[in-house]
Amino acid sequence: MSFGQILSLVPEALWESIYMTIGSTALAYVIGLPLGFVLVVTAKDGIHPMRALNMVLGAVVNFLRSIPFVILLFFVTPLTRFIMGRAIGSEAAIVPLVISAFPFVARMVEQSAKEVDRGVVEASQAMGASNWQIITKVLLPEAKPSLLNGAAVSATTILGYSAMAGCFGGGGLGSVAINYGYQRYDFLVMFVMIIVNVVLVQALQESGTRGARLADKRIR
Amino acid sequence: MAMIELSHLSKTYGSGENAVHALDDVSLEIEQGEIFGIIGLSGAGKSTLVRCINLLETPTSGTVTVDGKTMTSLNGKALREARRNIGMIFQGFDLLMQRTALENVRFPLELAHVPKAEANERAKELLKTVGLEGREGAYPAQLSGGMKQRVAIARALASNPKVLLCDEATSALDPTTTESILELLKELNRTLGVTVVVITHEMRVVERICSRVAIIADSHIAEQGEVQEVFLHPQTEAAKKLVLPSRAGKLEGFAEAEARDAADPCRGELIRLAFDGMTTDRPVIADMILSCGAPVSIVYADTRSIEGKLYGHTVLQLPGDEATADKLKRWLRDQGISYTKEVQ
Ligand SMILES: Nc1ncnc2c1ncn2[C@@H]1O[C@H](COP(=O)(O)OP(=O)(O)OP(=O)(O)O)[C@@H](O)[C@H]1O
Ligand SMILES: [Mg+2]
Repeated sequence: MSFGQILSLVPEALWESIYMTIGSTALAYVIGLPLGFVLVVTAKDGIHPMRALNMVLGAVVNFLRSIPFVILLFFVTPLTRFIMGRAIGSEAAIVPLVISAFPFVARMVEQSAKEVDRGVVEASQAMGASNWQIITKVLLPEAKPSLLNGAAVSATTILGYSAMAGCFGGGGLGSVAINYGYQRYDFLVMFVMIIVNVVLVQALQESGTRGARLADKRIR
Repeated sequence: MAMIELSHLSKTYGSGENAVHALDDVSLEIEQGEIFGIIGLSGAGKSTLVRCINLLETPTSGTVTVDGKTMTSLNGKALREARRNIGMIFQGFDLLMQRTALENVRFPLELAHVPKAEANERAKELLKTVGLEGREGAYPAQLSGGMKQRVAIARALASNPKVLLCDEATSALDPTTTESILELLKELNRTLGVTVVVITHEMRVVERICSRVAIIADSHIAEQGEVQEVFLHPQTEAAKKLVLPSRAGKLEGFAEAEARDAADPCRGELIRLAFDGMTTDRPVIADMILSCGAPVSIVYADTRSIEGKLYGHTVLQLPGDEATADKLKRWLRDQGISYTKEVQ
């Protein structure tokens, strides 16, 4: 393939990768964000300790996180087919991506929320804040910069997974790299896809870091 | 009726062998409108005590009554409502770092669902009261320690509390800033009539603003009363240890060896004079030396004059000769200056 032909493959693959990554990250946060807060709130030193629930959720999260993505990808195929109607393509890849990412996201969120100063939480309790108010008015806004940083890390990790999914029937940069680059021994294709991927990771990480810095009122 | 009433309050952390009795049968009454000091060494249970007042810590037994409400019988929403009646400030300020000064002060009003415009108005007013007019838009990271504590004070006052609890509120501040914060607290007490509870390990803080004080030692209230009375005539060992630091073997300001030499028995006994404001501010020691024609040496002195009256302590070493020493002591008694023999 000529370099021009290779470049013409980029836009669609790039779009598919972005689509999978953003979509999966968003959905992973829909589940992982509340889950992370539940983990913090119900912890032993949380604002509403619930030992049993915390242990069960912690165990589920650890279990899902311990399954390698490639295996999970095949393991959930029936579920993917049930939800999406098919197991192949970019949309279909979102199912295993979300399932593998939300426990990771939950831990990232948990970590960020835990960083909020205990004293501030106690001061809010002293002012008569309810637990819900503490979550929405203290933990969430105070952890915002850290959460944005975490989101950038999560998104880049999911992008990496999406490339893996691409190798096994998903779309995007990974699928082009495998189909043209590996199967047809066209290493230039592979190389170009890697470069595009690297640029994408940099862009995601940079925007996350920048967003976090802009949002953080502790500096300046 | 007292504004705050603690009755047989106990708090035990943990259980079994690891149990820590942070408070043991503490009873205390704090009157409406006073500034009450609670002083004690580190680990004595001061923070635990003050956190039991707004039930940040649940007492193991005993009752807490604030403004006629039995806090210990409240739960959930009723407790949260009652807490709005009690402001609290902390050593670490504990401001919301992602909110401006104004938004911090507005925070308790938001919690109580006060309409935003009204809350903003009140927050602005409060910032003005604590001397931070014009800094409404500043984030805590842009403010000095003293300013942060002022924001915290404004925030604590936003819900118009009857009581303001201060847990080591000036311990992280330099002496000048401490002075200004104490002045502000005193001012707010006077103008708003808010009852202030000051937790500290520093005597000067209590001396500066409190009318009454309780000394807490080893989870107990060792002593309580008027500040001058407790500080000048401590009755219990625990209180003496805290209030008269030089009693602990070593005389303050002297190295161990010097202190021993200074206390050499052949050079006469040591006596401690307590000035409790009954003596006018005149050169007492010089007078004594001139009137009796005998020298003494000043081993330790911590006195100050407030409104022309003398307060504090002085430790003197009398001459070895007993007759001269008696003469000096008689002179002191005649002048109405109380003294005690300083035990080594
Ligand atoms: N959450 C807790 N769990 C277990 N023990 C605690 C807890 N909080 C306090 N303690 C213990 O209770 C005792 C009293 O602690 P407290 O914090 O009330 O002391 P303090 O007088 O405020 O001391 P400081 O001047 O250092 O702040 C200490 O022995 C402390 O170790
Ligand atoms: Mg303390």
